[in-house]
Amino acid sequence: MSYTLRGRIESRLAALVPLVAAACVLALAEHKWWPVEAAGLMVGVGVALDTQAYDRVLRYQPGWAALPLGLIELGAVLGLMRLAGVMAPLWQAIALFAGGWLVAQLLGHAGFPLLRLSYAEDGGELGRIGAVAAVSVGVALASAGATAYALRPPVVHLSAGVHQGPLVITRREVLVGDPGATVRGGIVIRASGVTVKNVSVVGGENGITVDGVRGTVLDGVSVSGAKLDGIHVRLGGVMIKNCTIDMLGNDLGQGIDISYNMGMGMSMVEGCTIVGGMEGITTHSSMSDIMNNRVSRTAKRGISVTEMSMGMVMDNDVQNADGIGIWCNDRSMCQIERNTVVDTSGTGFGVLASFQSEANLWQNKLGANPVPAKAIVDSEVLRQQDFSYR
Amino acid sequence: MQVAVVGSGLAGFTAYQALRRVLSPEEIVVFGTADDPAATFRAHAAAIRQREMRSESDGHCLPATFPGLAFRASVARRSPGPLLATAADRFHPTVDEFLAHVDQLRARSGWERSLVSRRIERVQTVAGGFELDGEGPFPHVLIATGHPGLNVPDELRDDPRVVHAYEPHDYASSVTVVGAGLAAATEWLNALAAGAEVVSVRRRDAVRQPLNVPREYFSRRGLAGFHALGAAERAARLRTLLAPSYPRGRAFDAPLAAAVMENRFRVAERVNGTEQVICATGFRRGFEHDPLLSRLVREQGLETVDGWIVLAPDATVSALTDETRTLSLAGVAAQWAFPAADTLTGARYVAHGLLARIRACRTR
Repeated sequence: MSYTLRGRIESRLAALVPLVAAACVLALAEHKWWPVEAAGLMVGVGVALDTQAYDRVLRYQPGWAALPLGLIELGAVLGLMRLAGVMAPLWQAIALFAGGWLVAQLLGHAGFPLLRLSYAEDGGELGRIGAVAAVSVGVALASAGATAYALRPPVVHLSAGVHQGPLVITRREVLVGDPGATVRGGIVIRASGVTVKNVSVVGGENGITVDGVRGTVLDGVSVSGAKLDGIHVRLGGVMIKNCTIDMLGNDLGQGIDISYNMGMGMSMVEGCTIVGGMEGITTHSSMSDIMNNRVSRTAKRGISVTEMSMGMVMDNDVQNADGIGIWCNDRSMCQIERNTVVDTSGTGFGVLASFQSEANLWQNKLGANPVPAKAIVDSEVLRQQDFSYR
Repeated sequence: MQVAVVGSGLAGFTAYQALRRVLSPEEIVVFGTADDPAATFRAHAAAIRQREMRSESDGHCLPATFPGLAFRASVARRSPGPLLATAADRFHPTVDEFLAHVDQLRARSGWERSLVSRRIERVQTVAGGFELDGEGPFPHVLIATGHPGLNVPDELRDDPRVVHAYEPHDYASSVTVVGAGLAAATEWLNALAAGAEVVSVRRRDAVRQPLNVPREYFSRRGLAGFHALGAAERAARLRTLLAPSYPRGRAFDAPLAAAVMENRFRVAERVNGTEQVICATGFRRGFEHDPLLSRLVREQGLETVDGWIVLAPDATVSALTDETRTLSLAGVAAQWAFPAADTLTGARYVAHGLLARIRACRTR
């Protein structure tokens, strides 16, 4: 079809009405804002491409072009979601986009021509229907935005200096540390939807404890001197980003321990630096993605995924583990990709799968480990394009 | 009676299908000389042995583009092939599929109940609308009288070897084909397939494009600029747009290339001594060749430019159309509003305009 600019925008917005409605319903049902944020980005990306690119380049758009253009828009939306920090489960976000795309195709090829007989010759313009659709999408997104704004958690600033803990958080809030803000004695999170940003924690039983709550975000926290674990998560869903954990001198605790949250969706550990401890990052009965972390000088394992856990272990750098670099254990399923594991000492496995576990390895660099990778006790290591050296 | 359609060909039939959205057969009268709306097309297609339509999935007579002929073909053939082909603009319904669809629509739309077998010779304005040879008055009239006869160049008119491409004919052992459009290209292939040596005589190289005019002129994207042109520029643009053309593709190129290699196909500047001359030169152009339109222009003093009657963008005659009455032109006579007016999409465009006028009419 040869769209006019107005036709492109009206057709797009009208086709997105079902998607925006679905996103609002999903957000209400799941008590999460990512569907609405994703829908908003889809609208924004689509209209921006319509006005800045498609209208200028495509005087005529054949039907097949919807597929590559859709993939371009999907890439842009996912990229922007990542940049904007929209915390959406990847496959659910892709499913939402794909559903919206499919509905748009059905409406564009069948629904709109039946609704408005002159749809094709009007270049996709929908007249009153288009105006109503544009207003509907705008109102829905604005309403959702206003609701999100009204319901946003209070922001509490923690001033610079040392605050005596343990600090117990019992309501949904965003705790933001000013530069130099330190809590001595640990933080305990007992409410869902809590975000802790840029706070240093010194000492405490655990540095940060998350127990039985959902939607916790730990962003830019640093922990040192914890008696047990640096970050200790039980029965809770967390997103841990850009943390620093110093466990040197504590050979019994874990840097990050996420356990028994299988039914609480995906957790994530990303961009953290962990030094020392018995294990750097460990998950038990959990679905977690562990990505882009640096783990070094642990007394036993660098990263362990165990007790029927599932998850991706990607792009991590594990050095000087005394035993096993990355461990997939006890009936767990691990996707281990593009990690670097070097200088493992002791029994010395770069990657070990054990006790009926399945580890799928792809493009890892396993260097200076006594044994690069091995499977024991009914386990399996599927290796593709790994690079091992001594 | 609400609406009169003058002409019972495909343009009138397409308008009828749109009108049936809001009117019963008893509220519409169609004046024409043939029961079968596809009679002329059927004869022309048979004459040039056309098997596939040049139009695509939306080349049908229904008012909505969906479901198109590709969708129907997919259902009928139980194959996604036509739908996949139409996504790449490569689906062309067969002539048989198109004609079967016309027959189906004709049977179910009440066409026969509205049809009056009569040739209209005069349209007069009267209070309450228009009278057609004394019948009426009708508040809304669509004139869809079709192409005003086959065009044969003057210098060939008395040549006994000449036959028009759209008249029934066989092929001699040496054939000159005059013209450069789709009919000419089809005749090159037909004559070659019949074993003839073929000479192509044309004034210009053929334009190669999938449809009669560039695709943007089928929608407001191209039409907005076209409608904004002054009269002289618009006439010039129309002459450019309506230059003879036929689609790109191996279906034409491969047989022609093979024939050139065998010295059985060549291009010449003028008609020479071949046994047969086929004029694939289309139709006579200009309202003055249509007795009804010519008389209408003369009696009503309508504005014309270079053979085209000046029309509003919705193909209505502005001087004779207001809130209470509508006079629209369809088919080739509507090219001033829609360059591809003599296609099925063009007929649908005019029908939509008429339908909008009727819906908005105060006296309806």
